[in-house]
Formats: sequence, structure tokens, C-alpha cells
Amino acid sequence: MNCKKAEKLFLRAKDGLLNQAQTKALSTHIDSCPRCQKNRDEYLSIFEVLENTEFPEPKPYFWGRLQPQLKEQKIFDPWQAWKKWGLRAIPLSLILVFVLASALLVLGPPPSEEFSQSGALLFEDTIPLQDTESILDQEGVEDKNMMLIFASLEEQPGSRRPFP
Amino acid sequence: MDEKDLIAKSQEGNEEAYGVLVEKYKTKVFNMAYSMTFNREVADDLAQEVFIKAYYALPRFKGKAAFSTWLHQITLNHVRDYLRKSSRMKQVPFEETRGEHSTHEDEAEQRDREHELARRKKLVHKTMATLPPKYRIILSLRDIQGLSYEEISRVLNISSGTVDSRLHRARKMLKKKIMPFFEKEGG
Repeated sequence: MNCKKAEKLFLRAKDGLLNQAQTKALSTHIDSCPRCQKNRDEYLSIFEVLENTEFPEPKPYFWGRLQPQLKEQKIFDPWQAWKKWGLRAIPLSLILVFVLASALLVLGPPPSEEFSQSGALLFEDTIPLQDTESILDQEGVEDKNMMLIFASLEEQPGSRRPFP
Repeated sequence: MDEKDLIAKSQEGNEEAYGVLVEKYKTKVFNMAYSMTFNREVADDLAQEVFIKAYYALPRFKGKAAFSTWLHQITLNHVRDYLRKSSRMKQVPFEETRGEHSTHEDEAEQRDREHELARRKKLVHKTMATLPPKYRIILSLRDIQGLSYEEISRVLNISSGTVDSRLHRARKMLKKKIMPFFEKEGG
């Protein structure tokens, strides 16, 4: 047995974890090894101190000092607050969301009826040349031209130059 | 009223019942905190905080483990947090251990021995305070409070093998740190 192994076994022996054969081997080694004897004595002096640790009493009025702190904590304890209010808030907030959503659906602004030209083509199924058809159907050339001019003016209301 | 009833009543928020539990376990909790800090003031504060934590954790206590084990675990976690924080910031303020005053003052030899033990005690406690928290905790549990490997394993939630190896390392570390002082001061 080497000294390292003896140290390990000595510490285990202190906890009563060695079998008879190990105990015997350890004591044989320690008896013949001054270094391990010194090592053992050093450990024993430390254990003596640790085992004789004196425990002072807790400060007086332990419960008396603790009780007000419990009350204080009771007010601010987040877990308790969550348990009390948070769990109740879940159904309430769900109801609130449902009511708000219904109100928005019922009272909200109607969907916009004005579409862009491409939107109108897509959603209103209009024929793009429908307006033009009535103009093109005109037999008189002058009428046709006049109508085309007015139609182009109607589509571009801001295109007119300001009067100098 | 037995402990089960006291726990049940405390879980319902009965402070009087909890007060009885506190009186029963305050010394154990305090000693545990003291054996890791060696400071009465700090240990007392930690013990108070542990009982506050335990009070609010009680509704979640299902009784799978013994109440004392459960309380041990809360204490340990709380003290461990404190040690981690304090080792990051500064060392735990070390309080002078009260020396053993001999009642037989005429026995010089006895007095010398007690004086020597008190000096060594101070040194050991001071040195323990410099160890990493996990080693300080295991030394405290085994060599000061005398908990079995099984109890330590349960409280720390580690295997018995880990208890064995960690304890071995902790003892070696403590000895390595302390022996130069013992020798220097004529130990």
C-alpha cells in the first residue's frame, strides 16, 4: 500500500466505510510509515476541532422577529399575488378580448368600397372598357371627341395648371 | 397536535401552527447556517429568511420527503446562494469563536489545552471560510453536523459516490490550507 492510498483509506475509515481486511492493511501501513502517522495526526487534530464546534443559540425572540416579516412578505409575495389575482385575471381578460373583438366587428368602420382600378377589376368584376364603350358607340365624331376630352379631364382632377 | 397536523394547518396559512414548527426546527436550521458561516448574526438572518421561504413554499410541500429533510434542503440552497454571493463580493465576516473558559482554573494543563483547542478552532473556522462553497458545505454536513452519507446524498441530491469523493477532496484541501498555520503557531 502506498501513502496516497493509505490517506484515502484513513479518511474512509473515519466514516466507518472500511471492511476488516482494509482496516488491517491500513493499520499495518500506518504503523510502519512515520509520514502517514504524521498525516493521520494532522487529520485527527482537524477533526477534533470540527467535531467540537460550539453552536451559539439563535438570537432571542426568534419567532417574535419572524412573525412580522411573514405578514410583510404576505403583502408583497409575488407568488401569492399571482395565485390570487393572476389566475382570476385569465378568464376575465379572455372575456374582455372577446367583447372588444365583437365590438370592433359590429361598430367598426365598414370595409372600404372604393377600389383602385386593378382592385375594381379583381373584386367588382367590372369590364374595363364599359365606360369607353358608350363613348365609342357615339356616331358623331365631334360628340365622341368631346366625350373623350371630358372623360380624361374627370380622371385627372389635379392635372390642370394653376392660373398664372 | 402532531407534526402532520401542524404542517397541514400551516399550509392553510395558520401562523400559530407554523410558529410551533419554527420553534421546533429553529435550532437545527440555525446550526446548519452557522456551521457554514461561523457568524451568529449572519446565521440568524439566514435562518429567518429560510423560515420565510419555507412558509411560502409550504403549499407546494407534498410530504414525499420528511419535513426536516425538506427544510434542510431549503436551508442548504439558501445558505449556498448566500455563500456564492458573498464569495463573489467579499469573505463572510468571521466572528470570533467563543473560547472555552475552563471552570477549573487551577488546572494549568487543562487550561492550556482548552486554550490551544480554542485557537485551533478559530483557525479551522477561518480557513473553512476560504474554501469553495461546495466543499465547505460537505465538510459542515459530515464533520460538524455528523450527517450520514445517505442523508448528505439526499439533501444535496448527489450520489453516495460523489459524497465520498467530494468529502475526500474537501478534507484534503482543508488540511493543506490549515497545516502551515498549525505548524507555524506551534501546533
